[in-house]
Amino acid sequence: MNAGKLARLSVSILVFTGVWWTSSGTFFEEAIVPSPVSVAGKLGEMIWNTQLFAHLGASLRRIVLGYALGCVIGVVVGVATGAIRLARDLIEPPLEFCRNIPPVALIPLVVSIFGIGEIGKYFIISYASGIAVLFNTAAGVASTPQIRVRAALCLGARKQDIFVRVVLPSAWPHILTGLRLALGFSFMGVVAAEMLAADQGIGFLIMQSTNIIAPAEMFVGFLMLGSFGLITDQLFRMTIHRLMRRYMIPMA
Amino acid sequence: MSWRVLRLEGVGKDFTRADGGVAEVLRDVTLTVERGAFFTLLGPSGCGKSTLLNIVAGFEGATTGGASLDDRPVAGPGTDRTVIFQDVSNALFPWMNARENVEFGPKMARLGAVERNERAEKYLRLVGLDADGGKFPFELSGGMKQRIQIARALANDPDILLMDEPFAALDAITKKHLQVEFRKIWSETGKTIFYITHDIFEALLLSTHLAVMTAGPKAGIKEVFQLDLEEPRSPSNPDFAAMYSRVETLIDEEVQRMRAR
Repeated sequence: MNAGKLARLSVSILVFTGVWWTSSGTFFEEAIVPSPVSVAGKLGEMIWNTQLFAHLGASLRRIVLGYALGCVIGVVVGVATGAIRLARDLIEPPLEFCRNIPPVALIPLVVSIFGIGEIGKYFIISYASGIAVLFNTAAGVASTPQIRVRAALCLGARKQDIFVRVVLPSAWPHILTGLRLALGFSFMGVVAAEMLAADQGIGFLIMQSTNIIAPAEMFVGFLMLGSFGLITDQLFRMTIHRLMRRYMIPMA
Repeated sequence: MSWRVLRLEGVGKDFTRADGGVAEVLRDVTLTVERGAFFTLLGPSGCGKSTLLNIVAGFEGATTGGASLDDRPVAGPGTDRTVIFQDVSNALFPWMNARENVEFGPKMARLGAVERNERAEKYLRLVGLDADGGKFPFELSGGMKQRIQIARALANDPDILLMDEPFAALDAITKKHLQVEFRKIWSETGKTIFYITHDIFEALLLSTHLAVMTAGPKAGIKEVFQLDLEEPRSPSNPDFAAMYSRVETLIDEEVQRMRAR
């Protein structure tokens, strides 16, 4: 990062924090929007008594497991729907229907079926991430250029080689886009699930803070969501950049 | 795999249109391509040239008749016939660098790493890209990508190169260079070329044989020429110019006929 960019980044962060600080206690009551100082104090306190790690750990565990499950199912089913006409005709209509139902809307049903335990949360996150991965994978597999397949056949590839040697590598950029989108959806899914039914996790922390009138805790929750989302997305981008140097797909 | 002639006999091709009707694209196309020839198929846009090439490549079956090498009918794609596509960005494997693209055919033929590498070097050199083997397609210009595609095809040592307007999407200067170089490559390698174009100039510059197609639908062969033009070929040679206007007249007739329909 060059000096100019660093300066602009600092200004951006300072202005954002400044607006927050000055609006707290003036435009908003401090009991609703606490100042950065009291949020930082709360953060320190929660780190000290390890409460924060319990919440964060619970949420991350749910995300990692739910996301991994969603990705595996999404890639497998997505490849099938993209590559096999019969699978596409059978699977796609109900999925096209389901993709319009946001994960949050499923929470009451999931709680009735699975109770407030962990399984329901994994389900919500897997659903949220799986759908994104699935549709991107299917689109990627289905959009393999016909002439690339034909070129490979001319060069001696057997029909059974085409999938691994041509279709999958051609779809790879689409699949990675799906995986990255799904990561974002996992964060949304976990918060929604925890807000409605949990006794731990960042979503629970935010929801509970209104009940016990602890606004600083809510903002600690925001801080965690924002920074962890940012960190995982950056990690993801770096990984993609390494993996995708061969494709040079510009990832925003 | 020795053969003497590529034959197209009574080739007809129908397509089912989106509205359920039948489009008769080709009707009764009969051609003979001698081994070693630079055979060009010239015709107005949309006359079914690419369809004919796809039939020779084995990508599509003919509705009637068919293609054969001597008496062996073409039943599907094979390593004896390699297609050079115009849309080179999609034809190359973007996740492989230039060398890996060229090595693809030898790899499919299960050649060892050393031999694969030798072949890649040899053909990259032949197309003038020996210094660019490590570059990926997105790092190469359209003309360079087309060179890679030619090298990739030659590295597989096919008998026939099927070329579907390979230089049509390139800028005029690159196109001119590649035409000249490719003719040299053809004369050095002795491959049989089945070339498609709608560019009369290009056809006269490159070919030993030229078939002019009638306009579609139900397109067929209007006339076949053997081109014994003065070498090096140049539009300023009188026989080149005379041939040009003769072929142009034929094409114009077809375009008129198509418009009148």
